[in-house]
Amino acid sequence: MSDIESRIADTMLAKLRERDASLGPDDLGRPVADLDLDSLDLVELHQQLEQELQVKGDLRETAGFAFLDEFSTYFVKLASRG
Amino acid sequence: MSAGIVDIATAKPGQIIDNDHFASIGLTDEWIRRRSGIASRSWLPEETPLAEVAAEACAPIVTRMEDPSSIGALVVVSTSVQQRVPGIAQKVAQLIGLGPSVLAFDMNAACCGFVYGLVTGLSLCEAGQARSVLVCSVEAMSRLVDRTDRQTAPIFADGSAAVLLQDRPEFAGFCQVAGCDGSQEALMRETGAGGIHLDGMQVYDRAVRRMSESAQYLFDHGPAPTVMVGHQANGRILDQVSAFAGHLGVPFVNRIENSGNTSSATIPLAFAEELDAGSLPAQGRLGAVAYGAGEAWGGVSVDYRVPAVAAF
Repeated sequence: MSDIESRIADTMLAKLRERDASLGPDDLGRPVADLDLDSLDLVELHQQLEQELQVKGDLRETAGFAFLDEFSTYFVKLASRG
Repeated sequence: MSAGIVDIATAKPGQIIDNDHFASIGLTDEWIRRRSGIASRSWLPEETPLAEVAAEACAPIVTRMEDPSSIGALVVVSTSVQQRVPGIAQKVAQLIGLGPSVLAFDMNAACCGFVYGLVTGLSLCEAGQARSVLVCSVEAMSRLVDRTDRQTAPIFADGSAAVLLQDRPEFAGFCQVAGCDGSQEALMRETGAGGIHLDGMQVYDRAVRRMSESAQYLFDHGPAPTVMVGHQANGRILDQVSAFAGHLGVPFVNRIENSGNTSSATIPLAFAEELDAGSLPAQGRLGAVAYGAGEAWGGVSVDYRVPAVAAF
């Protein structure tokens, strides 16, 4: 796991644990619908990843993600563009 | 010439609607609180004229004035007034006993309306066009929403609040920032079928950014506010902007729990309720930031010195 991927995973896990402190890294692969996240949580996650990586994403794209993995792929790509 | 807020009053004469009301559309108290921070809100009866509600908010201020004839302008801000012609400002002026020489007009900038009205009123004062200016926001958002819409029905609410502006030697000048982007009009708009369409995720994202940027501007220009009041749109938005205000080192008012989103009226209502609760000193510098349909956004910082005991 690269440094960027690790920071993304940490940010996502922190967001998950705001809702359920028992969740762990294995839960990052679960569908969003199975987690206790609402639509505003996903906006907050988007904003937190932007802040962590100092990039600007497009919420219209991330709003439709069904898996947290998709956030990781999307933001790794954004961060890699520099 | 430097104008500021010298009095404030409110009116929330409607029926208290708690979250249990929305069980009929499948919403629970826990669901509503988590997504909005709202526990109850006030809804006006359908037959209550908004001009009367605005007058109820303005009347205590006029009563407390030594010289009400000094009121040279009345700005009535509303996005939910349903009568287009005539506007309601003239009726409000009559109801509170203002003379015929008052510049009385309506203003609509959706949830940003109070900030824009405040900037307008302060500008009239500082230009010497009026010795005193009343700015009153009045809303009956419950009449605009589809009460069966799970997204908007629990959020919006009704109420009114007014501030009196005057020029005082001890006041520093006001500072304002504002902007708009008509290309984002689809984010929040009335639907043809009755109701309000709200792109919740986009609005949440943009409201947090715009209000935080506006707050930062107010701190970078002019005297620093001693308290921040943001448009009470949604508790989650307030939490985010509050975290930003915390970074700026000032308290951020959150009174949404028992008020809901009264559109343009949220800022003066929240400010007045916080003053009434004794949580704020009777004088200081208010920083107000708002974001709303249009889209329109903005902020204003302004000195205030209000009566220690005001009839809220």
